[in-house]
Amino acid sequence: MWRYTLRRLIQGVITVWFIATATFAAMHMVPGDPLGSERATTESIRQSLEARYGLDQPVFPDQYLIFLGNMARGDFGISFTQQNRSVNDIILEAFPVSAQLGVLAVLFAALGGVLLGALTALNRNRLPDVIIMFLVILGISIPSFVFAALGQLAVVRLNDWSGQSLLPVAGWGTFQHMLLPALVLGLGTMAFLTRLMRSSMLEVVNTDYVRTARAKGVPPLRVFWRHQLRNAVLPVITVLGPAIAAITTGGFVVELVFAIPGLGRTFVEAVQQLDYTLIMGTTVFYGAFLVLMVILVDLLYGWVDPRVRLGS
Amino acid sequence: MSDHGQELSASDFTPVSVRPDAHGIARPSQSYWQDAWRRLRRNRRAIASLWIVIFLLAFTLIGPLLWRVDPYAQNLDRISQPPSLAAQTLLVERGVQWEGVTLDDWPTGPAQAWLADPERGELPAPEGLEVVGDPHTLSVRLRWQPVAHAAGYQVYRNTYRPTAINELGLPLGETWAGNDVGYEDQLALTPSTYWYSITATDGLRESEQFVSIPVDVQLATTIESALARGLIPSRDAARAGDYVAMPANPFGTDYLGRDMLARLMYGARTSLFIGIAAPLLFVFFGTVYGAFAGFAGGRTDDFMMRIADFVIALPFLLFMILIRVASGIGPGESGIMPLLLALVVLSWPATARLVRGQILQIREEGYVQAARLLGARDHYLILRHMVPNTLGVILVTLTFAIPTAIFTEAFLSFIGMGVAPPVPSWGSMSNEGLKSMLNSPHELFFPALFISITVLAFNMLGDGLRDALDARMRSRE
Amino acid sequence: MRQKHDHDQDYALTVDNLKVEFDTYGGTVHAVRDVSFGLRRGKTLAIVGESGCGKSVTVQALMGLIPMPPGRITRGSAKLRSAASEATELIGLRERELNRIRGNRIGMIFQDPMTSLNPTMRIGDQIVETLRVHRGMSIREGFREAERLLDRVRISEARERARQYPFEFSGGMLQRVMIAVALACSPEVLIADEPTTALDVTIQAQILDLMQALQREEGMSIILITHDLGVVARMADDVAVMYAGQIVESGSAEAIFHRGGHPYTLGLRRATPSNDPENRQRLEPIEGSPPDLFHPPVGCGYFARCPHAMQVCEGRMPDPFELHHAADTADDVLHSARCWLQHDQAPRTEGVNQNGAGRGAS
Repeated sequence: MWRYTLRRLIQGVITVWFIATATFAAMHMVPGDPLGSERATTESIRQSLEARYGLDQPVFPDQYLIFLGNMARGDFGISFTQQNRSVNDIILEAFPVSAQLGVLAVLFAALGGVLLGALTALNRNRLPDVIIMFLVILGISIPSFVFAALGQLAVVRLNDWSGQSLLPVAGWGTFQHMLLPALVLGLGTMAFLTRLMRSSMLEVVNTDYVRTARAKGVPPLRVFWRHQLRNAVLPVITVLGPAIAAITTGGFVVELVFAIPGLGRTFVEAVQQLDYTLIMGTTVFYGAFLVLMVILVDLLYGWVDPRVRLGS
Repeated sequence: MSDHGQELSASDFTPVSVRPDAHGIARPSQSYWQDAWRRLRRNRRAIASLWIVIFLLAFTLIGPLLWRVDPYAQNLDRISQPPSLAAQTLLVERGVQWEGVTLDDWPTGPAQAWLADPERGELPAPEGLEVVGDPHTLSVRLRWQPVAHAAGYQVYRNTYRPTAINELGLPLGETWAGNDVGYEDQLALTPSTYWYSITATDGLRESEQFVSIPVDVQLATTIESALARGLIPSRDAARAGDYVAMPANPFGTDYLGRDMLARLMYGARTSLFIGIAAPLLFVFFGTVYGAFAGFAGGRTDDFMMRIADFVIALPFLLFMILIRVASGIGPGESGIMPLLLALVVLSWPATARLVRGQILQIREEGYVQAARLLGARDHYLILRHMVPNTLGVILVTLTFAIPTAIFTEAFLSFIGMGVAPPVPSWGSMSNEGLKSMLNSPHELFFPALFISITVLAFNMLGDGLRDALDARMRSRE
Repeated sequence: MRQKHDHDQDYALTVDNLKVEFDTYGGTVHAVRDVSFGLRRGKTLAIVGESGCGKSVTVQALMGLIPMPPGRITRGSAKLRSAASEATELIGLRERELNRIRGNRIGMIFQDPMTSLNPTMRIGDQIVETLRVHRGMSIREGFREAERLLDRVRISEARERARQYPFEFSGGMLQRVMIAVALACSPEVLIADEPTTALDVTIQAQILDLMQALQREEGMSIILITHDLGVVARMADDVAVMYAGQIVESGSAEAIFHRGGHPYTLGLRRATPSNDPENRQRLEPIEGSPPDLFHPPVGCGYFARCPHAMQVCEGRMPDPFELHHAADTADDVLHSARCWLQHDQAPRTEGVNQNGAGRGAS
């Protein structure tokens, strides 16, 4: 298990290096080289850029090496458009917001998906199954911004109807602010996980070991809990990595619609303002974060499935 | 009940000869694709989806030929109209200024003495408020009876019936004399019902007494504008006062008065073009790449797949945007080609992995080994075994890739990183529609509906194809 | 099996007129059609037949393991009789009561040990589960008992083994574990559904020996489902031959093997390899395939494949004919066959009905 962990971590570092390189390459492909000093908005930024990135030196290998060195030290540089603010500061301010939202959404999607999936599989082709699977198809086919808009509309109507502000329509600050965005953010992933869990559960329901458990006289609830759910959840865990990635980037839309000061909105604004250092920093940070999440999910899977934990 | 055949005769016990395969089942043999097609046809959801897809393609390709409305043409007098069928417009002359209603036999303002009286009462609401001429979207003309001691009048316009003075809001306009009892409204009128209200003011204080009338405003167009928009063939073909048929807006209009149906059709071009062209390209590239890697094997395979792994690790949406930035597309500019390029560059590895796995698996199958033993050449193996056995998987991948690509386009256009206005795409239309969601929900509803239906149809078609092509999956759902 | 002098108390389990159907998209499959048999206390009954003949469905119906729907037991009864107490009817029992019997009074092992154990639970936990459910043991107590059971099924280093997962075991070892799970509560009846089919031959022998040894120690009765006549010869006291959802012949193992009264039994015999050097016959496969149980034939299911088929066979299935053998002495198990060849008017046929067997209606 330790060797496996170590190997995954080394792979992760290499992947992050690749992401950083691709980011660097993409930024230098921009016509009129944005990192060229003439694009800097103020003189002070221009000077610090030149000093920091060696802009007077050739792009490859000098600038590239300086860039990699900065990244390795976790120094993402200074913002192009926001004076005297380091990219690190901006990310550190916005990321916790996105992370809180993301954690809530992932929890909501995973728990909801597993429970609904199990429920539909056990009631296969009966009314709950038909209703939930219809909603799941809608959940997969409707874009998240529509859910966001509908959610806001619903809250507006709810507040109108009750005559008081039950839930905020947008903004950030309290737990109530998180509720609706997290729900919207998790909805698509939940639908996807429900579908996966259902087919996984249907496979498990008819396995030999479930039959063995029943032949042992194990009561149905215990069969469900210890034999069916536990094994059916395994394939769901394997897709949690991509699911977290989907939820993280899905945050772009939700943060824009609900006016949440998270990393997604920061990135979109950085692109709109052509704040190149911030774009680069956010991309590499996001990439590293997602790689880490995928590794964590893999390790979690190994912890849950003894075949992986003990086998390799 | 006991059947021991006591009543049987000797003839019952004469031996008969039977073929041992009498119970055998003789079914007509069917090719893989015939069988798959038969199974797909039985799947009602998949067939319904297939029809929806065909309809969408027709909507995109044939639609604009039948519905010849310019998707870019703005009609500022028809902003955010809900869906409506036939509409007519009244032709009017351009710029005929109304001189208003000024009564010569009425004082322009109250006497000083009256104003000086602190005990003076509130002015009553004007009487006899009425519409002059035909009210239409270019002009609504009002007149009313003067009020004694009035120094002027305030005119209010609401979309609902006002019941209290504080519901009137800010005045639309005002007149500056007590004998000035006419008002012409030319401000951004759309065909609907307005409530006009008038209060009188004595020069120092506005009265809280008001009078309201509802006015049904009809659509009107100047002759010049009608000519420019092609509603009438020539200047002489129509006169002011005539009615001319306007193109209907079955799906309403957007915030610039552009026809939603036409925009949805042109938007479908963008969305479906990206949604179909990108998957075609990257599935093709991925297939070639994966098949080559799988067939080559060894170090070449290792190296090629390592590259694919790296590309998969790139955060998808971030690099979609990054590639757009890298191609020099500024904010607010439309980049359909960079979007296509980015989708292809970032999406091929999944297909490559799948096809490679399939090829490796088939290579180990008994029938391929057997063919090899019989001396089959590589190209025979590829054409006879590899291609037919991977085609199904590739087709299914392609079907599922289309809704994903459509989603991506919509998502990016929605956050303003894809197709930008004024080029219509379902995503950018949703983006524009979001702003006016509370007042005219149809502007968001229709593009969102089209995205959802398209994605839904392709997803269900993919499900059906997968079930039909892969017999092993059949028992599952 | 029925004895010639029937006493209910001699049986651990009796099944009467069991019928099981499955609803599928294509129609109703009549998987088990009117099956009756008795399991003698302390003995081994083998149910033999080719795949799809309904033998597994029969025992799964007894255990309430058939998914319903699509499955459905339309008729019949199955009585579990302990020596001391009243008989318990199994068919139609509520899940709750059934769970008090399954794993407790009837143990069951399955064909494929590799998939029959939960891959994410430790071996010990899977044995303890039975003990917890039926005996209310604590986990610590249960684990000690699990180690003792593993020891009894001849698994060495039981302490460590109990803490391992199924994927760390070989197939043969897992089948031993399955036996330990089934025997945890010392059941009166053990049902073994093709217990050795998925194992290789040397392991098969070990597992069969183990089952016999445990039967001697525990005195339990065994129902053994198999298609392997070699296994039957080694294990069974009594045999029931199933074909197309019906029992076509039943009797003592000795009678079935040497004085088979149904052409299908004889066909099975001839299709089984023998290691007797004296007996160097060619193996003869039974041509054709069993009938489709969507539309079970009105007459004898074997009609189409039978080398001795007669006019009467196509339209009518006979009730069992009791077969009496001159050689019968100690053997007091009833031997019966459902074949018209056993009718008085049937022509003499080599190997089936002419070896001096007296015939009569039961």
